[in-house]
Amino acid sequence: MKNEAEIRTHLAHWVAERSNTPPEEISGATAILEQRLITSLQLMELILEIELLAGNSLDVSRLRPGAFRDIDTIYKNFFARKVG
Amino acid sequence: MKQDTARLVERLCIASQGDFGSPYEFAWPERLPEDAWHFSPELLSIAGTPTGDSLSAEEARRLSFLEAVNFFSLNIHGERALLEGLASRLYRDDLYTPYLHHFLDEENKHMVYFGTYCLRYAGKIYPDRKMALPREYEPGEDDFLFFARVLLFEEIVDVYNARMAQDKRLDSVARDINRMHHRDEARHLAFGRQLVQELYERHAPGWEAATLAAVRRSLVEYVTAIWKEYFNPDVYRDMGIPEPHAFAREAFASDAARARRREISGPALRSLVSAGIFEEEISL
Repeated sequence: MKNEAEIRTHLAHWVAERSNTPPEEISGATAILEQRLITSLQLMELILEIELLAGNSLDVSRLRPGAFRDIDTIYKNFFARKVG
Repeated sequence: MKQDTARLVERLCIASQGDFGSPYEFAWPERLPEDAWHFSPELLSIAGTPTGDSLSAEEARRLSFLEAVNFFSLNIHGERALLEGLASRLYRDDLYTPYLHHFLDEENKHMVYFGTYCLRYAGKIYPDRKMALPREYEPGEDDFLFFARVLLFEEIVDVYNARMAQDKRLDSVARDINRMHHRDEARHLAFGRQLVQELYERHAPGWEAATLAAVRRSLVEYVTAIWKEYFNPDVYRDMGIPEPHAFAREAFASDAARARRREISGPALRSLVSAGIFEEEISL
């Protein structure tokens, strides 16, 4: 599994690519959903990307869109405990 | 509201009343035969790929069961969103409530079949990864997108249903569920094709060019998202395939899968081009 910096960089590049935004403009606190950098349908792809990085499936039925608000929140919710 | 749609709705309501069935009378066997097919082998997500071709007969049949569970699961998720959208549109004077009641009734029954199969024989429903984000819409955009997505979802599903309903290699439970679904879907598709065209003609002339472009983009994204659900990493994990997410991505991108997507969803996408909704056929 990638370390924290690699995961954050990977996610920032992923969002940047889909939103035509320079990756350096995607910080940990950039509001991905609020700024509509990705659409509802791209959120499904982001979930698959997080699963790929985390190595397990997410139970999306228990999640709210807020869980994907920004990269800080995504990291805290899906990686922090695993990477340590 | 258009007269030809109103006439079609009248005919569809009569047909639905005459074809009123109960999902609770279905004879569910205690268990499914282990040596049977539950999903047509040519429609398996990895059919025609090197991995698909290297499966033993036993592994391929196991995959066919898991893909049947995935197919019924994705139908449950699609129909759940459909029920929510239909229910919220009942008794609006610009839509067709008498048929929406039948649509709701029939979709609810389908979910009973799909859910019973998944829970009885697999002990689970594969989870949904779709999540709706609230946003603002131009007038009519929300209705058009809702019914256009429903139509695309059902057009693809119906190809699978129609083929598997006829596939004598399949265990009778899977075959019968596909057959019953296809029978109702024929009416839903007739309604959907007519309504989507009507909503487009009603609303699109009032949209800015940017809105129309966004609507088209959203439909392309939706079709891609639907197709990704047919390549579920959870299925591959249950098959014991290592790194299932990477495997799903490779399977999705394979030439065989791409050709199958074009073949199955091509007619529906071309009909949207003929209707003027897309400017050209999209590439999947």
